[in-house]
Amino acid sequence: MPSATAVNKHRPSELLSRLASDDPEVKVRALREVKNQIIGNPTKKLSFLKLGAVPAVAGILADSIDEVTNNNNCNSNTSNILVQSAAALGSFACGFDAGVQAVLDAGAFPNLLRLLANPNEKVADAGARALRMIYQSKLAPKYDFLQQKNMEFLISLLNSEKENVSGLGASIITRSCETSLEQKALFDAGILRKLNSLLGGGSLSQRDASLESLATIFRNNPEVISKFAGPEIGRPLSSIIDLVKDRHPRTRLLACMCLIVIRNASPHFLQDIGIKSKIIHILLELLDDPSQVGDEAPFAFSSLIAQKEDLQKLALEANAIDKLYHHLKKGSLHPRRYEGILLALADMCSKLESCRSKFLSLQVLNLVADALTDHNAGVRTAACVCLKNVTRSIKNLSAGYFMNEIIVIPLVQLFPDPSTSVQVAALGAVSNIMVDFTTRKSIFVQCGGMKQLVQLAKSMESAVRSNALWALKNFVFQADNRLKEGVFSELTASLLSSLISDPEPSVQEQALALVRNLVDGCINLIELVFAEDGLILGAIGRQLQCASKAEIGIQGMYALCNVASGNEFHKEAVIQQLFTQMGDKNQSFVIKFLQSNDCQLRTATVWTIVNLTCPSSPGAPGRLEKLRNAGIISQIKNMVNDPCVDVKLRVRTVLGQSMAFGDN
Amino acid sequence: MTTSKKTITRDEWEKRLNDVKIRKEDMNKLVMNFLVTEGYVEAAEKFRMESGTEPDIDLATISERMAVKKAVQCGNVEDAIEKVNDLNPEILDTNPQLFFHLQQQRLIELIRNGKIEEALEFAQEELAPRGEENQSFLEELERTVSLLAFEDVSNCPVGELLDISQRLKTASEVNAAILTSQSHEKDPKLPSLLKMLLWAQNQLDEKFDYPRINDLSSATLEDPAV
Repeated sequence: MPSATAVNKHRPSELLSRLASDDPEVKVRALREVKNQIIGNPTKKLSFLKLGAVPAVAGILADSIDEVTNNNNCNSNTSNILVQSAAALGSFACGFDAGVQAVLDAGAFPNLLRLLANPNEKVADAGARALRMIYQSKLAPKYDFLQQKNMEFLISLLNSEKENVSGLGASIITRSCETSLEQKALFDAGILRKLNSLLGGGSLSQRDASLESLATIFRNNPEVISKFAGPEIGRPLSSIIDLVKDRHPRTRLLACMCLIVIRNASPHFLQDIGIKSKIIHILLELLDDPSQVGDEAPFAFSSLIAQKEDLQKLALEANAIDKLYHHLKKGSLHPRRYEGILLALADMCSKLESCRSKFLSLQVLNLVADALTDHNAGVRTAACVCLKNVTRSIKNLSAGYFMNEIIVIPLVQLFPDPSTSVQVAALGAVSNIMVDFTTRKSIFVQCGGMKQLVQLAKSMESAVRSNALWALKNFVFQADNRLKEGVFSELTASLLSSLISDPEPSVQEQALALVRNLVDGCINLIELVFAEDGLILGAIGRQLQCASKAEIGIQGMYALCNVASGNEFHKEAVIQQLFTQMGDKNQSFVIKFLQSNDCQLRTATVWTIVNLTCPSSPGAPGRLEKLRNAGIISQIKNMVNDPCVDVKLRVRTVLGQSMAFGDN
Repeated sequence: MTTSKKTITRDEWEKRLNDVKIRKEDMNKLVMNFLVTEGYVEAAEKFRMESGTEPDIDLATISERMAVKKAVQCGNVEDAIEKVNDLNPEILDTNPQLFFHLQQQRLIELIRNGKIEEALEFAQEELAPRGEENQSFLEELERTVSLLAFEDVSNCPVGELLDISQRLKTASEVNAAILTSQSHEKDPKLPSLLKMLLWAQNQLDEKFDYPRINDLSSATLEDPAV
C-alpha cells in the first residue's frame, strides 16, 4: 500500500519532470502514471493541462514516431511509449473540450494518424481510440470528404476489422459530414452500403456507430434516403427498423433517431401507423433507462413530434403526457433529462387543445412552475417554453386560469435572468398570459411585471426587446385606460418612438403594434402619439416610409388608422404624415401599400383612408382633395374588384364617401 | 373449495419431456457462455478442447478481466484501476459511476488499514471534486467518510462498507463494465433460463398437478401430490 511519502511522489509537477527523462523505462512509467491519474478525473485533467502536460506528452509521441521512422523498426520500449502517450492524449481529449484543443494545438493529430499504420496492434488501437475521442468533440478538425484521397482513407478505416478503427471511421462521418454535397459523395463512394452491412454483421459498438453515421448522412437529404431505400438494395430500412427492438437501450435509441431523421426528411417513408406507434412507445419506455440514454430519449421524442399534429395525437393516445408527467414527478432529475422532458411536454402542447387539456387535468402545471426556479438555465428555458405552449389554450386563457401568483410571479422573476434564452422564453409565456379577458391584469402590475417589461424593452438583445414589446402589446390590448396610461408613462414617448425606429425590423413591428393597441378604442389615448411634439406620430410616419416588410406596414397603418378615428385635429395630423415623408420620392408609401400583395396591408391602408374621408368631419373634403391629387383615389378605384373581401368592402366605402363630395 | 386441477402422472410427464428435442451444441454454448462470463478461463479452455465449442469471446481477454476482478476482491484497487486502464482506457473515462465506486473502495481500504491521514487526504483530493459534481456521489462520500467517526466500525450504521461484500459488489461492477465494453453480455444466460423455468412452473401450477422441479441444483422431478 502506498505510504504518505509515496503519495507525494505522484504530484503532477514531479511526474512531469520524470516525463522529460532520457531513460525510456522511467519515461514509460511516468506516462503510465499520468494516464492513470487523469482517466476518469476531470479535475486532474485540468490541473495537468495547466502544467503543460499535453505538449510534453505530444512531444514524446512525436519523438518516438520519428524514431520508428528513422530506424524502420519499433522495439517494445518504443511501442510502450507510443501506446501510453496515445492513451494519455486520448484521455485528455475524452469528454473534455479544453483537452481536445490542447491536443490539437500541440500538433499531435497527424502523429496519432500515423499510429494507425503501425504494425503493432496495440499501438494502432491506441491511436484509433485517441482519434475517436477527438472526433467526439465539436473541436475536431473538419474532414474533407470531397477529396479522393480522404475518401479512400475513410473507406479503409471502415473496412478494418478492428472495432476502434472502424469506429473512428464512423465517428469522422458523424462529426464532419454536414452538406448535402458531402452526403452524396459518401453515398457515391459506397459508404452507406458498408455502414448497412455493419448494422447486421458488426459488433454492438459498430452497430451503434453505424446508426449515428447513417443518420448524419440522411439528415435533410431525401435524395440520398430514397437512393438508399430503393428496391435495388434489398430492404435496407428494415435493418434499421429491426434494431428499434434491439435488447440494448442505446441501440434502440439510435435506431429510433435514425428513423426519425429519415421521416423528417422524407415523410412518405414510414407512413405505417404501426411503426410510428412503435417508435413513440419505445422512446417513452426509454425514459425508464437511468443512463444517458434515458436523458436523450425525450429529445428524440421531441424531434419526432415537433410541428406534427398527427404524431402528437398518436402520442397522446399512447399516454405520452401521463408518462412524461410520471417521470417529472420523480424529482432529482439530471438537468439534461429534466430539460428534455419539459421540452417534450412543450411540443405535445404546441398545437392540440386535447393535449393541453390532458396536461392541465393532470396538474402538471405546478411541477412546471417549480422548474422555473431551477438553477440550470436550460431547464428554466424549457419550463417557460412549456408554459408558453400550454397558455395557447384560449379556453383556459379566457377563464383566467393562468393569471395567478403561482405562474405569473416566478415568470416575472425570470425577466432579469442572466440568460437571454430564459428571458425570451419567459416573455413568450407572459405574452400569452397577457391575453386575458378578465380584470385581473393588475396582478401583473402589482408584482412589478409591467415596469420590468419596460426595462427589458431597453435590452441590448433585440430578441429580448421585441418579445418584451410583444408582451406589452398583449397587456394593453383592450385594457382599461388607467392601465394603458400607466404603461405609457412608464415607457415614455421618447423610448417608444426610438423603438419604432429600432434597427431591428421585429422590434419596429412590435413597437408599432403596441402603439396600435394603446390608442385603440378611446379618443383620449390618441393624444399619446402627440406627446412631446408628436414624437411618436413622426416616428410612425418615417418608419412607414422605409418599411422593410409587410408586417411593419400593417401595424403602422393600423396605428395611423386608429389615430385617424379621432377628431379633426387627429385626422389632419395623420394625413400630414402620409405626405410629409415623401421627400424625393414622388410616390407616397400609401400607393405602394395599396399595390402590395399582402391583403392585410391593403386592408389596413384602405381602412385608414376610410377614416380620413368620413363625411361627418368638416375637413374631409380637403383631405379627399389631397388624396385625389396624389393619385390615391384612382388607385383605390382600381381596387373595386380586389380578391380580398375586406379590401373590396372598404374600397366601396371610400368610393361611396368620395362621391358624397360630388366629383368622382 | 379447490378448483379441480388435472393431474399429470410421472410417466406421462417423462414421456412428454422425452419428446422435446434439445441440441447438444445449444447446451454446450450455454455452458461455455456461463464459464466465459463468470471468468473461469482454464475451465473454458478445457471445455473448448474437449467439446469443440468455440467461445464467443477471446479467452485471453478473460484472464485480463479476471485479474482486475481478483485485484478488487483482494482490496488492491489501485492495481485494479491500472489494469483496467491498460485493458481499455475508455472504460473508466466514460463511466463516472464506476470510477467513483472504485475510488470509494480505495478510500475504504485506506480506512480499513488504519491509514487515517492518507485517507482524509485521498478523500479531499480525489473524491471531494466528484462529490461537488454529483449529489448522489456526495451522499455516498459522506457515508464513507463517516466510518472515521466511529470507534467500533463493525457495529456502526455504515459498517457494511467494510464488509467483504462491498468489495465483491465493486468487483462485479467492474467485471460488468469490462464485458459491456467488449460487446459481451454482462450476465450469463443460464440464470435467465432457470428463472423462465420457475415462472413457467408457477403458471402451470394454476391448472395442473405435475412433477415439479423444486430443487434447481438437483433438478429432480418430484411427484405430484396424489
